[in-house]
Amino acid sequence: MRQTYGKQLPGMKLSDLSGTLIVVEGTDCAGRTTQINLLKTWLEEQGHAVLDTGMTRSPLAGEGIRRAKEGNNLGRVTQSLFYATDFIDRLENEIVPALRAGFVVLTDRYIYSLMARAIVRGMDAAWIRSIYSTALVPDAVIYLRISVDALIPRVIFSRGFDYWESGMDEFPGQDMYESFRSYQGVLLAEFDKLSMEYHFETVDASADVKTVFAELQKKVLRILEGDSRKEYVSKQYEQPTANAFMKPQEAVAAMLPGLGRRDLEMLLHSAATHASDGNDRSVA
Amino acid sequence: MNTGNNVRIGPFEIFYPIAQTFERPRQNGGQQFPGKLFVVEGIDGSGKSTQLSLLHKWLESKGYGVVFSTWNSSPLVKDTTKLGKKKKMLTPATFSLIHATDFADRIERSILPLLKAGAVVLCDRYIYTAFARDVARGMDRQWVRELYGFAMRPTVAFYFRVPLEAAIGRVVTARDGFKFYEAGLDLGLSDDPTESFRLFQGKILQEYEKMIPEFGLTVIDATLPVEVQQMQVRQIAKIHLDKAKELRVRP
Repeated sequence: MRQTYGKQLPGMKLSDLSGTLIVVEGTDCAGRTTQINLLKTWLEEQGHAVLDTGMTRSPLAGEGIRRAKEGNNLGRVTQSLFYATDFIDRLENEIVPALRAGFVVLTDRYIYSLMARAIVRGMDAAWIRSIYSTALVPDAVIYLRISVDALIPRVIFSRGFDYWESGMDEFPGQDMYESFRSYQGVLLAEFDKLSMEYHFETVDASADVKTVFAELQKKVLRILEGDSRKEYVSKQYEQPTANAFMKPQEAVAAMLPGLGRRDLEMLLHSAATHASDGNDRSVA
Repeated sequence: MNTGNNVRIGPFEIFYPIAQTFERPRQNGGQQFPGKLFVVEGIDGSGKSTQLSLLHKWLESKGYGVVFSTWNSSPLVKDTTKLGKKKKMLTPATFSLIHATDFADRIERSILPLLKAGAVVLCDRYIYTAFARDVARGMDRQWVRELYGFAMRPTVAFYFRVPLEAAIGRVVTARDGFKFYEAGLDLGLSDDPTESFRLFQGKILQEYEKMIPEFGLTVIDATLPVEVQQMQVRQIAKIHLDKAKELRVRP
């Protein structure tokens, strides 16, 4: 039976949550959104019902958080709790119903990002953990790890430095570049700590999109294999994943039999320009 | 004035806040502020708001720098709360969290800086309201207390104790109809709003009673005449302000 991290929310039955909960974690610009979009398409092609969700997408608090972050007066306790409201709203109204219906739930960040952000902002670790003790223990946490040095060019050539991602609220008086380095550095250290504690499956996210995707597919297949209802899927795709000599691109192409290389490129491209970038804002 | 557990002040027995069992607040922990924080608590219809506004007038007339803060009033959060209530989107957990977020904003933005600056801060409802309501809605007692771990302990928390029926009578005659969450209609206790309100307030009252010893709430008998209650409130407030003469903005 599914577990929580200690406390159960009123009215939440844990007995019939038959779906699979997969968390994709990682710092800003680690490529989480791109990978989740690829995974979603791939899983749906195999016949899985997939729900993807992520920070600030709750109908209750998403808009409120976005508006609060536009100003300059969102305190750190308030910020932590606003995000907790958003998370619990999605947990109760999206994640749990989807798991009950047997979906594969892909979540772009989970409580770990929220805890890491709160802790680097000086919040008491026991306090934030206590709040999230009501969260469900996921089936797996895939951690897209990338060093700050590898991150910088991605940020510069995608959308530039952002006030909150640069932790300007925490490192005022520095320019955005310095602040970004300091903030992402401490955030990464906190992630590495959480990674040990919560047994993340770490994937090197500095590789190109296809290589990372092939790595993720292997992990996701292994997670779904543990579920008897998905036996059919895991058998069908056993062969290509087991072949260690295959180039990553070929492995991906082999695992998506109906798909030519051009289709794959297009898929990767369209996923990269998907509507929401998973970083608390939408991209037109 | 001694500070035993049951001191007599005036003709009426009251509990004096001595049993401070609330853990030292974490985020604002261990700090001593020059300001004073007086809060009023009690079920709807207990008359606490009337008493607080009378205390407010008195403190102002004495020349103190007084600031008033009401429950559920953060400009950053209130639109989200309003949305959740209007569309009935709130579960016990998100109801609890959105109110904690609102409270956190008021603490960070106004209450904490004001106390540091030496003001007298008056709160109509404080964390005890959240403890009572959220637990009545089925939230874990310990979880809710941890959630508010960032709150500072008030100088005095007045609890206006009133029998359920007396409070219900005041509220029912004073307004027509209850709001959805106010009446606890989300809990499915009863389809009739007035009956649901009665049952919900009963649960809240039980929680308040448990909190009297837990947090050392200062009990005021809210069935007494308004003037008598106010005399007690002022007497108790005075004890704490005697040590804080430097707070006066006017001589």
